[in-house]
Amino acid sequence: MKEPTLRQILLVTDGCSNSGISPVAAATLAREQGITVNVIGVVERNEIGEQGIREIREIAEAGGGLSDIVYPAQLAQTVQMLTRKAMTRTIHQVVNKELKDILGDSALEQLTPEKRIQVAGMVDELGERSSMNVVMLVDTSASMKSKLPAVQQAIHDFSISLRSRSGRSQMAVCSFPGKHQHLDVRIPWTEQVEKAHQLTEGLTMSGLTPSGPAIVEAIALFEDVPMPTSLEDRYRHERTGKRDDEMDGYLEDHVF
Amino acid sequence: MYSNPAFPKLPGEFSGKWNHKRYRVVRPLGQGANGAVYLAEQAGKKLAVKIGLDPLDLLMEVNMLKSVQQLPKQQIGPLLCDVDDLTIDGQNCTFYSMEYLEGERLDRYVARVGVEWVPVLAVQLLAHLHALHGQGWVFGDLKPENIMMMSANKQLRLVDFGGVTKMGNAVRQFTEEYDRGGWQAGDRRAEAAYDLFSVSVMMIRLMTNEARWKKVGHEKRTIQDLCDIIRENDNLYPYRAPLLKALYGKYPQAMMMKQELMAAIRQRNVTPPSKRGRSGSVASALLGGLFVASMLMLAGTLYHLWL
Repeated sequence: MKEPTLRQILLVTDGCSNSGISPVAAATLAREQGITVNVIGVVERNEIGEQGIREIREIAEAGGGLSDIVYPAQLAQTVQMLTRKAMTRTIHQVVNKELKDILGDSALEQLTPEKRIQVAGMVDELGERSSMNVVMLVDTSASMKSKLPAVQQAIHDFSISLRSRSGRSQMAVCSFPGKHQHLDVRIPWTEQVEKAHQLTEGLTMSGLTPSGPAIVEAIALFEDVPMPTSLEDRYRHERTGKRDDEMDGYLEDHVF
Repeated sequence: MYSNPAFPKLPGEFSGKWNHKRYRVVRPLGQGANGAVYLAEQAGKKLAVKIGLDPLDLLMEVNMLKSVQQLPKQQIGPLLCDVDDLTIDGQNCTFYSMEYLEGERLDRYVARVGVEWVPVLAVQLLAHLHALHGQGWVFGDLKPENIMMMSANKQLRLVDFGGVTKMGNAVRQFTEEYDRGGWQAGDRRAEAAYDLFSVSVMMIRLMTNEARWKKVGHEKRTIQDLCDIIRENDNLYPYRAPLLKALYGKYPQAMMMKQELMAAIRQRNVTPPSKRGRSGSVASALLGGLFVASMLMLAGTLYHLWL
């Protein structure tokens, strides 16, 4: 079986979206285009309300992904666990579908545990070798300020995990709200994020949390997904700019 | 906090769907990353039963347990007994049962018997790891919580195989505190040196008091923090060579670390530990200096790692 390419958007936020299209709708849109949306709520204490918790869960459900709410100190490990679990799940679905095509409905439940152990091994192997493209979408509204060091640490840590995989892995990091648009690309597609980057520099701190519009724009960053012309104009320079340094995959500090 | 998943609750009594073995649940034993473990009885035997949310994760663990069992002499982990399904609240769930290991978690055991046991236990652990590595597997999530001292024969056994990874792949599951990536000391590719790094951190952790350990790595964990602890701790200091070499990834094999650790234990036995004064005596200054010098040499040889 051919290794699939996995596309994920990972939203890191601390509260409710309050501007533009509903993030749940945006996540549905992403899923339609083969992109899984995972959400991590990062909170200091119990500052997140019922509504925030529900929204985080609903975005992930709509996006076919997973969600969790954690303290800043747990962020790095959560990013890697959630991404991995979501990846395995996606592959499992693909494998399941193929098995169903061959064996008929509820195929997997009719397999003996022994056989399923073999399927699990295959899913694991596919997961390790598949290509993976992840856009991290970081909420930088005012209340996130104190959590940004933890986010920065998590970004670096995640890059370590990605480059330990056998399959080709790329990540990009965006912050929202952006200066002139809904999001700013802070780290364009890369295979390795250097330690020295600063996420906090040049940020627009604002009370707006346009999670929905940010997800919609993040979809545009996946190269093989067709995007609306309006977005294409906006992102064309980023796409072409990326091509040159894509192969070596390293990123200079001056990007920030 | 929020992230503790609720695993399906096992009924008091149940039978597997395929193998029809009948289990009676005695009590819950604890939770791992992938599932909850219960003590149960099956055909008059005590067994541990593990059930989780994701059948896939569980089946991967079974895969690992089966592979490790192929070792002829050395028992590294629990023996696998049964893999089966059952229905809980109308949902199909997968479980597996394994040998029930009666014993004490490594950190609790050390708290009871004393820190001077740590190097000896590490030697035994390294023998297990050497065997595991020889089979092409890396344990991955090495930490005191995943190591048991068996009451019956005073042998260590590894439990929770959720992190066991094929050499060369990305480590499946780890705990930041013992993870090479988390200490900015390398990546998460499964290799013997990955586990040995965890062994070293674990030894330091087990021989350091809680208050001192809490001071480490608030912003960011670095090997320098660990070096500071080794330097100021009389129990750790005699083992600085193997500890540092493991931290800097200088051992390609567990056996090499084991041998040097054993040499350090013997060395310590012939030269009674001299009390190193903290008040700036000539001896302590010298030792400190020597330590710094040896660190610098190590750093020199490892310079390329940081590039």
